[in-house]
Amino acid sequence: MSTLVGTALTQRFGSELALDAVDVAIDGGEHLAVLGENGAGKTTLLRILATAARPTSGSLEIFGLDAMVERRRLRARIGFVAHAPGLYPALSAAENLGFFCTLQGVARSRVAEVLDLIGLADAGRRPAAKLSRGAQQRLAIGRAVLHDPRLLVLDEPDASLDSDGADLLARVMRGRTAIIATHDHALANRLCQRTLLLRRGRVVGVPTRLRVVH
Amino acid sequence: MRTISIALAVARKDLTSEWRTRELVPALAQFVVLALVIANFGFQIDSHNAVAIAPGVLWMALVFAGLVAFGRAFAAEREQASLEAMLLTAAPPAAIFAGKALAAALLLAICEAVLLPALALFFGVRLSFDVVSAVLLATVGMAVLGCLFAAMVARVRARELLLPVLTLPLWIPFVVVGGQAVQAAMGGSVTGQATGLLLDLDILFVVLTSLAARFVLDD
Amino acid sequence: MTNTRLGQASAAAVSLMLVAAGFIFLYAPTDALQGPVQRIFYLHVSSAIAAYGCFAVVLLGGVVYLWKENIAADRLARAAALVGVAFTSVTLVMGMIWAKPIWGTFWTWDARLTSTLVLWIIYAGYLMVRRLAEPGRQAARFAAVVGIFGFIDVPVVHFSVTWWRTQHPGPVVINDTLPAEMLVAFLITMACTLFLAGVMIAIRYRIEVLMDQAAEKTVPAPIVAPSEARGAR
Repeated sequence: MSTLVGTALTQRFGSELALDAVDVAIDGGEHLAVLGENGAGKTTLLRILATAARPTSGSLEIFGLDAMVERRRLRARIGFVAHAPGLYPALSAAENLGFFCTLQGVARSRVAEVLDLIGLADAGRRPAAKLSRGAQQRLAIGRAVLHDPRLLVLDEPDASLDSDGADLLARVMRGRTAIIATHDHALANRLCQRTLLLRRGRVVGVPTRLRVVH
Repeated sequence: MRTISIALAVARKDLTSEWRTRELVPALAQFVVLALVIANFGFQIDSHNAVAIAPGVLWMALVFAGLVAFGRAFAAEREQASLEAMLLTAAPPAAIFAGKALAAALLLAICEAVLLPALALFFGVRLSFDVVSAVLLATVGMAVLGCLFAAMVARVRARELLLPVLTLPLWIPFVVVGGQAVQAAMGGSVTGQATGLLLDLDILFVVLTSLAARFVLDD
Repeated sequence: MTNTRLGQASAAAVSLMLVAAGFIFLYAPTDALQGPVQRIFYLHVSSAIAAYGCFAVVLLGGVVYLWKENIAADRLARAAALVGVAFTSVTLVMGMIWAKPIWGTFWTWDARLTSTLVLWIIYAGYLMVRRLAEPGRQAARFAAVVGIFGFIDVPVVHFSVTWWRTQHPGPVVINDTLPAEMLVAFLITMACTLFLAGVMIAIRYRIEVLMDQAAEKTVPAPIVAPSEARGAR
């Protein structure tokens, strides 16, 4: 059974059509790369799949639940890394994660685990504002997996990551269903089994199946 | 239970951030003192009319300081894109809203701790328990309404314009009743009725805003 | 409703307002104290009541929208808000014209006047939210919240100041202090004004439907690059 099925997803912003009847389906454990130029609709599509935005029309089912209705239940099972890291600059890395532990209702012990996972174990007490752009991005990724979600939605997470960022992404995506928007075809090739190419809000061609590297 | 712990965590997060950056409170405190100075020139205040004008000046300063404080409560979250991160969790929006309102109310109360003594000093008014309780009771209702509309305007265009337009008319009951309570208390008469009405308004708007928070914060 | 039916209804509303004018100027007696200017009363009070009715529709439309996500309820609220603001403006302007010869001033900060002005500001804010929020779901939700809080605020403003003495007269119709002929003229004017408000809401509702349809019929983004499109033409 598919983990996620989106049918005819359409998003309008005023008179502009950002997403035009996009169909997308992902199986459990599968990794899908969404490719396309800037303004092709990658972010729009990912925000809809992460329940951060509502499509103008179309339907979306995640884990067998209607995503237009069961948003709160689904959010407990989805991790989302948005374009901006969305951290609290005055709080330390550990405090940022700790705060989201309370919001997600998970034990505080997850903070140390996640800091370890994202390679910031030594920087836990530094304020988020003092972290490098790459470290902030790592923290945002850590926050997205804090509640151990089964579905991970990543919007250009590699944009500010350093050279070993791909390893981190591979680590957090392992064992989860994941959708990742990126410009980097090599990265998509390495991390994902399938790609979806967007152009001006439409799916171009048939979703390709990449060679399996694992 | 979970709602309360989330609300407290949100409020604590806001207050910790404010304590470390000291962005808002010093500026607000300076703002309310400046408001008193401007009022002095605007109203040509002397020892005869000071007591009559003081309640009006108090509410003017409070209303405009409140607009800044509540606007800031959500503007900062929006700039950091952290509001969305909070909303995309399992936490109920009403709990997040309650936490934001609680923190904003406490920050405004700190400003009042500057405003009221300054008013007593410059305008020679007597600060009784009744005056302080009327101001604090009004702060609660103003905070929940202000935060509700601040959350709303944080997500629309032209937000600087829209917040006062939406919030000020709905604050009028607090200014009217609070103004009467303060005027009565400064004149030495009983304020029981006005205080009771402020409490009623607080309960009404706390209940309504927590019901409405879901529609404003969730998409 | 079709455009023909709306046209007929508008014609009926205009005729009825002329009938009301006949009752106001020809049937009702001239006030002994205030003279002809008192004739403002009929339309002044009627449009105030029509405005309250419109805002009640905004409240109901908002509640139904938040509850059922019914777009028709939202359109009705949108239409009623605009008509309500128009009638509130009429009430305020006519009141000021009446106040000048009788009270000697256009405006006084009396409870009734102030709360009516606040009402106008609240619903003007409602219309602003509609324009500034993202069209569709967000605009509808935000406006519904403003409409609900706005309506609750009206009695709050109104009653919190009833301890104050007011210059504005209290209700004369319910208190049975109005002469029979004046009462007849008033009731007819009120009925006609309410009908007019209903027709105005219906017309505006139709406009909202058409605007929603126009917004949905946007041209999809061209799949070809703009340069290619220019070459093809």
